[in-house]
Amino acid sequence: MKIGIAGVGITKFGELWGKSLEDLIIDAANQALIDSKLDKSKIDALFIGNMLYGKLSNQDHLGAFAASLLGINVPAFRIEAACASGGLAVHLAIQSILAGSYENVLVIGAEKMTDYPSSEISLGLMGAGSEEERHAGLTFPGLYALMAKAHIQKYGTTKEQLAATAVKNHYHASLNSNAQYPFEISIEKVLKSGSIVEPLTLLDSSPITDGAAAIILSKSVKPDQVYIAASAVSSDNLNLSSRETLTELKATQIAAKKAYTQAKVSPSDIDLAEVHDCFTIAEILAMEDLGFCKKGQGGKFIEQGTTRLGGKLPVNTSGGLKACGHPVGATGVKQILEIAQQLKGLSGKRQVKKASVGLTQNVGGTGATSVVHILKI
Amino acid sequence: MSNSPVVNWREIKSLHKFLNKKGEILVWTKVNVGPKGFEHQVPYFVGIVEFEDKTKRSVQIVDCEEKDLKVGLKIETVVRKLGKVEAAEVIDYTVKVKPI
Repeated sequence: MKIGIAGVGITKFGELWGKSLEDLIIDAANQALIDSKLDKSKIDALFIGNMLYGKLSNQDHLGAFAASLLGINVPAFRIEAACASGGLAVHLAIQSILAGSYENVLVIGAEKMTDYPSSEISLGLMGAGSEEERHAGLTFPGLYALMAKAHIQKYGTTKEQLAATAVKNHYHASLNSNAQYPFEISIEKVLKSGSIVEPLTLLDSSPITDGAAAIILSKSVKPDQVYIAASAVSSDNLNLSSRETLTELKATQIAAKKAYTQAKVSPSDIDLAEVHDCFTIAEILAMEDLGFCKKGQGGKFIEQGTTRLGGKLPVNTSGGLKACGHPVGATGVKQILEIAQQLKGLSGKRQVKKASVGLTQNVGGTGATSVVHILKI
Repeated sequence: MSNSPVVNWREIKSLHKFLNKKGEILVWTKVNVGPKGFEHQVPYFVGIVEFEDKTKRSVQIVDCEEKDLKVGLKIETVVRKLGKVEAAEVIDYTVKVKPI
């Protein structure tokens, strides 16, 4: 598979009180159009990843909503797969090009979260879980805390290893001016930040964020252009308690295996990755499920510095969900953008040297959807 | 948590399937920040339990203290009010577990 990335655009991520969802969509999409040097009349279809806007604001019909903001009359689709909405939108856009229907497709991921109180956002996000979980008084921090506890019980993973993940991602974010939290933190600060659900603290958790990212995908790949070499998705039981194990994301394992086959690469060929660190334990699980290290070794792998900028396999150079921010529908698109910029050598202070193959992993819920992309130049 | 009386009526009919079940805790944790409807209960305990019939379920763990909780602790199901009930709302019930 060879799908060209013709252009990219991204807004600042953060608490953007002065910006509406409309502003974010227009900003990211226009930047992508300018970057691609394509006139908007060349866009054949639009896909927008968004999870919560309909629920929070009562504005649905987001496909046509986004197309009309940009002044284009094209087939327009809103894709929802919880926090994997953006990644799934990219996947579907690719499928539409592979099907031969469209030449150039605009993919937008956008989420406006700070207009509403956090208790309402937590409840909204729990739409990604199951009724059984909602009835148990569980939230996403709660579900990931259970996964963290299971990992600690089985493999002896430590709170310091969890914290090291957040510390690394904050370091990366300190080099990214678009990040929500562009500053460093210490292990001690993570451990001493308030407990949300044990063992996860406030600083083990990704924040509530406004932001949008956009990319333009093309059937043709120009020389020196980054292209998508693999796009794979898998689903799993929505219900954490119904899974075979709490310490593995089967959907990630299946999607990763497919993606490696499609791109004809192995985990050791990956030069950098953007993974779904909604909570620190999620990045540890991702390292294992993507095959970067042995099962149970994810905490140690991160703590050793292997995935820090300058290490063998830099992970979440954007700052990840933790420190760049997590506007849920935008995250999967932002991950593609981060890797594309890195492969083109446009990442400034956080540039990874000699990178030619990158991977993204975007998760919905506690692993009921997982989307894996591999990019090359 | 639904405000539809029809949904409550339909769901309450299957509640009996979870009555009188015994099992043990596979993993548990303490929730310090809860979602809407559960704020008044924090801190509270949740876990994934395995019943004797090998089915598993995410549940709230009630009638216990933190020092008593451990992996492998024997539990049984109880029916309890789901979360906070506002004056004009239908009262929602659900299955929770307590130590035996």
